[in-house]
Amino acid sequence: MKRYLLLLVAFILVFSAVGTFSTAKPVAKAQDAPSGTFLGTWPYTLPPDHHLNGFDASGLDTNLGVIYRQIVELTPAFYMWATNEYVPMLATEWGFTDDNTAYYIKLREDAHWSDGSAITADDVVATYALARITNYFSVFSAGYVSDVVKVDDYTVKFIFAGEPSLVAERAILKSSISAAASYGDLPQRALDLIASGAASDSEEWTALKTEITEFRPAQLLASGPYTYSLDDVSDTYMTLRWQPNSIFSDSVKFGEIRLWAGETEATTPLVLSGDIAHSTNVYPPSTQQAFADAGIRLLIMPRMYGPALLFNYDVYPFNIKEVRQAIAYLIDREQSAFLTNGLGATGTVYMCGLLDSSVPTLLNQADIDALNHYELNRDKAAELLQSVGFSKNSDGKWADADGKVIAAEYKFPAEFADFSAAAQDAVDQMNQFGFDITPVSTPWQQTAQDIRDGNFELSVWSWAAGSPFASRQFFGPIQRFNYVGLTDGQKGMDFPMEFDYNGTTINLDQMIKDASNGLDLEVQKQRAGEIAKIINDLMPFIPLNVILSTEPWNENLLSGAPADDDPILQNPSADHFIVLYLLNGTIAPAN
Amino acid sequence: MGAVPLPVSMSKNMGLWSQVKKVLGGVYKSYTFRVTIQGFLTLWVVTTCTFYMIRKMPNNPIQVKIEEFQTKQNLPYEEARAKVAGLYDYDPDAPFIEQYMDYMGDLAHGNLGKSITTGRTPVSQQITKYLPWTLFAVGMGLLISFVMGVLAGAAMAYWRGSVFDNVMTAFASISYGIPDFVIAFMILLIGGIQLEIFKVGDYIGGVDPQLKAGFNPDYIQSLFKHALLPVTTYVLASVGGWMLTMKSSTISTLGEDYITVAHARGLSQRRILFGYVGRNAMLPLMTRLAISVGFILSGSIIIETIFIYPGLGKYLFEMIGRRDYTTIQGIFLVTSAAVVVSNILADLLFGVLDPRVRVGGK
Repeated sequence: MKRYLLLLVAFILVFSAVGTFSTAKPVAKAQDAPSGTFLGTWPYTLPPDHHLNGFDASGLDTNLGVIYRQIVELTPAFYMWATNEYVPMLATEWGFTDDNTAYYIKLREDAHWSDGSAITADDVVATYALARITNYFSVFSAGYVSDVVKVDDYTVKFIFAGEPSLVAERAILKSSISAAASYGDLPQRALDLIASGAASDSEEWTALKTEITEFRPAQLLASGPYTYSLDDVSDTYMTLRWQPNSIFSDSVKFGEIRLWAGETEATTPLVLSGDIAHSTNVYPPSTQQAFADAGIRLLIMPRMYGPALLFNYDVYPFNIKEVRQAIAYLIDREQSAFLTNGLGATGTVYMCGLLDSSVPTLLNQADIDALNHYELNRDKAAELLQSVGFSKNSDGKWADADGKVIAAEYKFPAEFADFSAAAQDAVDQMNQFGFDITPVSTPWQQTAQDIRDGNFELSVWSWAAGSPFASRQFFGPIQRFNYVGLTDGQKGMDFPMEFDYNGTTINLDQMIKDASNGLDLEVQKQRAGEIAKIINDLMPFIPLNVILSTEPWNENLLSGAPADDDPILQNPSADHFIVLYLLNGTIAPAN
Repeated sequence: MGAVPLPVSMSKNMGLWSQVKKVLGGVYKSYTFRVTIQGFLTLWVVTTCTFYMIRKMPNNPIQVKIEEFQTKQNLPYEEARAKVAGLYDYDPDAPFIEQYMDYMGDLAHGNLGKSITTGRTPVSQQITKYLPWTLFAVGMGLLISFVMGVLAGAAMAYWRGSVFDNVMTAFASISYGIPDFVIAFMILLIGGIQLEIFKVGDYIGGVDPQLKAGFNPDYIQSLFKHALLPVTTYVLASVGGWMLTMKSSTISTLGEDYITVAHARGLSQRRILFGYVGRNAMLPLMTRLAISVGFILSGSIIIETIFIYPGLGKYLFEMIGRRDYTTIQGIFLVTSAAVVVSNILADLLFGVLDPRVRVGGK
């Protein structure tokens, strides 16, 4: 028995050693495919969780993410943040109809699916029929579009349910178009059901919705130059393979896109070892430094959010405007930014609920000039507190006339390194100023739940959002974590959204919802300016800083990255430059 | 007055009843029967507690998905909620007791249910997909670390006080004290990045993705190659514990009277070491080994995550993040069953190895 045991151990060790020095047999590449492999990463799932349905939560959105789905299933156009313009992809023309009752897109007539069949208006109509039944596209879930109509073989019209909207335009131009042929008879049945006038809560609607989400396409017909099958998905990495029939097949420079599995902890050594050339994961400052030390370039891009200090308005004295303003003055936001994400964060400047980078395009200059920047001024903070009856007691703590000290618990998510660092720094700065704030870390799900339930005094969560529209950027956290954006009686911050302001009763919730409606950008700027000034004055939350994305880019492996001052680096992840640069061949293998 | 004789039929019934009682009594007194019943009770309690506790975690599968849509797609709550509605076959508002009874009913039929968040895949299918990887890597790691630990621990005790003992004790203490994930990162960053002994990407994952699965030398080699780093990490993180335990147990055994007697009888050193010392010193380790075997099934969450190893631990971690209740329950149940069964086996094995501890001397 002992002898067998020893033999087994020896066998294992020998096999391991042999494996160490062995090399895998290469698999033949597709004919005529460009050479080179793009080495990226995405936390996809494994089959059977992983499937090729574009209308189910665990399908293409989850497994390719917003970046790589766009090189497999093309969108009509690609958005450039710096110029507020769209670059053509699958569409050649687009725009609002003359009477502004609809939006249209005209497809390229030379575009084909990976099986060689033409991409036509029928595919667009089918995509939107499936999305309508499943409520999967925001043009339907937000109620922008009531119908999608084929005009001719290459033109489709989106009929607006109400006012025309630039938000809807972006949603239409950014949504991937799927091949009708991949979904069998489901698109036609979806169209028939919609035509029958069935209600979205009817039994037949629900049944078809279930059938669509449970459908598993046998193959992925790609409009982009890359496609894959489930055989290309391994536990280590998945491979998107070049296919010859896309309008971009001739321009791309890689035969394969290899996406390594895993999140930050798994991809860190792979970036350092050169197995991953570009990663969109979030890395802590020390890891960023290690990348830089190893000669790996860090691309700085907007992440379009940052940590905000949230107040619970049911908790005294945070329901007093001057106290909130005082906190805005006393926190050094540059320090907060550095401690949050090293050089990958900047202190908030405009303090109005809009990202600093968006303020010049979303507000008029007069409104921008009217904004209070709340520059670090602890004397001013003390003055504001004194103006509402607070003074320092013998212990050096700020207390009201009844001797009640400004004290609170500050809940923050333990797992989020950036948010917890921002929270702990804010606690330190407030306590040094004379508050009595106790940091309390909880699991992130618990923190989020507590904020929604109003079970907190102070907390931290994100503000702003990755959208070029003011209504979206204002959304978090003043709507997202406030009673107006919650359900089931949850109070969240409980900041009142309907109140008297400068002698007028206003509904801030409705103002934000309407901010980006219509097509007139000047009107939108005026609406956004009003909201920005109110937020800037009331300080319903403190936008501590803005986090930037610091993405490792190995120039020994890849060429074609934009220069640091290239305007395309103003695009955030949702409109990542690598989508455009991979497709047009700007990014290529090094050497 | 003499006893009144019972009617014949009643007498026969009484005889049968006493026979049944005797058999039942015998079964009940059976050690194996009792530990088995205890095992089932433990599993029921664990299943019930797990069922309750995971539902007490903040958020539910639907809320997690809504959060994801809100964060990644910048959707307002109502839009995100509308999008998620109907994606999952799960009603968070269903009464707890109703959910529990449904689950236990399925379980009674051997059905672990379907995953909530992954396209309604049967949980048993998920477990059978990921379990073999964990059994392979963690099982191999456990076997190697146990064998190495026992041999080294016995040697350390035998030559206690020597340079060998001091060096190995220091190594064992360090190994025992460093968390496994630190060892994993050290292997990758020092061995793979700094010293470039191996190329990190060639060792990540369960097997080379470019190879076709099958019983061929390339594939088998690749399996062992990719298991090398997780196994090494597991061995380095756990061998110290086995060494120290074995050393302590061996030292204690060496001081027993029967060892002195064995020496006095002039038995060979080899026979004393392997026949007397080794066998008795290993007794406490057998229980621990049996329990460790049970824990193999849960894998090593962090190690599997760092090495992107497709085991059950990594999968469990992902499913906890998604709050996939049915999958979490299924994995917990299988893990608990493995621990319970291995505990029972440890109890029975201990009784075989050391007759003194058999309950009631049976």
